[in-house]
Amino acid sequence: MTIGAESLAAVGGAVALAGGLGGAAMGMAIAGYKGVATLAEQPQHLRSVIILAALPMSRVFYGLIAMVLIISIVVPKIAAMPDPGGSGFAVLACCIIAAFAFGFSGMYQGTVCGSGISSLIKTRGRILTNALVLAVFVELIAVLGLVFTIMALSILGLM
Amino acid sequence: MIISPESLAVLGGAIALAGGLTGSSIGVGWAGSPAVHTLTEDPGQLRNVIVLVSLPMTQTFYGLIVLILILTRVVPNIAAMPDPGGNGFAVFACGIIAACAESFSAAYQGAICGSGISMLPKTKGAILTNAVMLAVFVELLGVLGLVFTIMALTMLGLF
Repeated sequence: MTIGAESLAAVGGAVALAGGLGGAAMGMAIAGYKGVATLAEQPQHLRSVIILAALPMSRVFYGLIAMVLIISIVVPKIAAMPDPGGSGFAVLACCIIAAFAFGFSGMYQGTVCGSGISSLIKTRGRILTNALVLAVFVELIAVLGLVFTIMALSILGLM
Repeated sequence: MIISPESLAVLGGAIALAGGLTGSSIGVGWAGSPAVHTLTEDPGQLRNVIVLVSLPMTQTFYGLIVLILILTRVVPNIAAMPDPGGNGFAVFACGIIAACAESFSAAYQGAICGSGISMLPKTKGAILTNAVMLAVFVELLGVLGLVFTIMALTMLGLF
């Protein structure tokens, strides 16, 4: 069995989405543990807990954007490249950027959101804005991962 | 399917950026968790907290510089080398220098920034200068990783 260049590129898209799903799952779990402990003490913080615990979920959609772009735009272009096999492998390499960015930023955004959730009771919910500001810093890294993946594919002439 | 040397070189650039994004995620996450607790105690420290939390993000851009240099300057040179296959793998090897330097320096810069952030309420913000100074030492390792990767590529005649 020979692995085709298009299928290697499809693996790349799948790896990007898998990284997003893995990061989102871990981040939401880390924030969710703290959320349960907070809600056990003060159930009225449910709204803030849901906002903070749902933040790492955005990685799934970034991963989906990467996969849809690769399957719909990049894969049809590979056959026309001068070196299709090498281009397929290069697409997989570029998607490793996205996978690492989504996986790790999702996980560590979960720790920031979890700390915010733990502090909700002490500050009577006022920490929400500051926790969101700090979580957005980690979000930015995931967005940069998506943008730089698309940029690398453009430099290679695949997008 | 044979992996072409150009695509191995692209993989080298991609892991350099992936390392930068991973390290930045971990670093910002590690600094962000103490930041929420600091803001719980003293919300007036928001400005100092944001300065310290955003420091580990720079490693992403060092990784990006390595990726762009490899994609635009090194990849077109490979075909003209006496041993293209070996040179593609050598570029991948040089990418590992950058990947390790950026990921570890960003993660542990986050640890230093997190310690600095924890001390902000106790010192009423006076620790900021010293914390930034200590964080710059770790930043230096990220810069050295970038410079030495470029140096290694130059010594191989690929740059």
